[in-house]
Amino acid sequence: MTHTIVTFKGSTKQRLDMRWLSQAINESTNSDVVKKQSLHMGNEKCNIGDIFDITGSFSDHPVVFENSNQSMDYVGHALCKDSHLTVAGDVGHYAGSRLAGGKLVIDGNAQDYTACGMSKGLIEIMGDANDYVGSAHVGDKKGMAGGTILVHGNTGHFTGDMLRRGTIMVVGNIGDYCGSRMIAGTITNLGTIGKQVGVGMRRGTILLPHKPKDVLTGFHDCGRHNLGYLTLLLHELRQYKSTFQSLHPMRRRVQRYIGDTTVSGQGEMLIWIG
Amino acid sequence: MIINGVEIEDTFAEAFSMRATRIIITAINYKWARHAAETMTGFATSVIGCGVEAGIEKVIGNHETPDGRPGISVLLFSTDKKTLEKQLQTRIGQCVLTCPTTAVFPGMDSEDQIALGKNIRYFGDGFQTSKKIGDQRYWRIPVMDGEFICAETTGYQKAIGGGNLLVFARGISHALLACEAAIDAIGMLPNIIMPFPGGGVRSGSKVGSKYKFLSASTNHPYCPTLKGRPDNVLGKNIEACMEIVIDGLTKEDVTLAMQRGMEAICDLGKSQGIEKITGGNYGGNLGPHHFHLREIMNDSYNRYI
Repeated sequence: MTHTIVTFKGSTKQRLDMRWLSQAINESTNSDVVKKQSLHMGNEKCNIGDIFDITGSFSDHPVVFENSNQSMDYVGHALCKDSHLTVAGDVGHYAGSRLAGGKLVIDGNAQDYTACGMSKGLIEIMGDANDYVGSAHVGDKKGMAGGTILVHGNTGHFTGDMLRRGTIMVVGNIGDYCGSRMIAGTITNLGTIGKQVGVGMRRGTILLPHKPKDVLTGFHDCGRHNLGYLTLLLHELRQYKSTFQSLHPMRRRVQRYIGDTTVSGQGEMLIWIG
Repeated sequence: MIINGVEIEDTFAEAFSMRATRIIITAINYKWARHAAETMTGFATSVIGCGVEAGIEKVIGNHETPDGRPGISVLLFSTDKKTLEKQLQTRIGQCVLTCPTTAVFPGMDSEDQIALGKNIRYFGDGFQTSKKIGDQRYWRIPVMDGEFICAETTGYQKAIGGGNLLVFARGISHALLACEAAIDAIGMLPNIIMPFPGGGVRSGSKVGSKYKFLSASTNHPYCPTLKGRPDNVLGKNIEACMEIVIDGLTKEDVTLAMQRGMEAICDLGKSQGIEKITGGNYGGNLGPHHFHLREIMNDSYNRYI
């Protein structure tokens, strides 16, 4: 299989807007043309070819982006169907924002607003992701509208804020305000979770291994149940190579809370039993 | 063609184009899955009076069902998509939703889709929730034993309805013996149902009637109590005639089912009181699918001699 390899040559603390990379991948632009395009790095204007090595054609997938760091924003922004981008290293803010298909794999950590406004496809983060994973893009009223995010590490605060549809899987811990203002969709993790879970949540599911320390007063205990749909969900979660594969698909006994009733919400927080 | 003393008449069974779908009903155990499946496929013998022909296709192990519980697959056949969809939803709503612990899943992959839980969800009165898992949307409807899980849509495809076999025998017990053997053999096959009670039919029909309001009436040339009439086709030693109606997803499925059925009957042979196997047709002008009995039995015939 032929790969396209994009390598950042130097090092910088200036933020770099990487939307050109997604555009090149989506349009399968010739790499010679891409190299001549201009890019701002701080207050300097330079050609992409001056700071990135590009080998191969953008029609060859997967595209591998090497030597990435936390200054690289919008990596994988608006990738389309059948695209496959693998990033070696950390990424900055807005990684995978407005992703519309394909697959983005980040072999490192991601900063804020990862997958915001995403509508389809898969984002897999091998490390941690910071705040607002799967939330709304700045200016939007709805968060992620489809697809799957798999974070092998931890996520920060406001994970799934205003989530509209799709699944967020976190192997590690989740910070505060998880599922805040959630509209629908599913958030699940295997570690701990912070405060104010599901605040302002209207619908959707937050599936947790342990009861949060402070369940909001807007959430009402509906008792313990065997939910058949969890088997379907677990089959889906187990498709991805992660710790979620260790969950038995018939594990479906949960404590169910509905809320957030302070906003007339009918969302659910499910806590595994046993 | 005579096999083991049983005559295979040189004729054909005439069948019709249909639309078919498959659903999988699961429940906490086979008992409740079967209750739902049997209720749903009750009063579904003929499209003429029931709108749909339906039956249990097979039992599915819990390792094969989407939710890991015991399941039963059901096939439904109708003349057109609209009727099929309407009948499916009515029967799911009244017979499966109401049955304790059940869930319903699509059993057919197809680009052509019909509604399954799409409208049944309104029973949830606003408390229903949807979950899209993979490419399929599921509805979770709160009910008194927990939740009813129902896929939003299921696939449907073109199919064949009305494949048939007619068995002539020296008595009712002989005809029943032959039919039961054939039904058991056909019942082992996938993609096939026999929609009539137990798989057998004693009231085969002809097209039309002396009464203008009836589109079909008793097939009087095959009635043993009318043997004295000149248009009766039963010989002197025939005292019972029975039919097996077969609906299948493809022509190959129906052909194989007819072959297995005839083989089972021929295995019993003339010594068990079975005289002849024939096929029901309307002159070949109504149904586009013709299943010629002797062509189907050619391979079997060679095996017998």
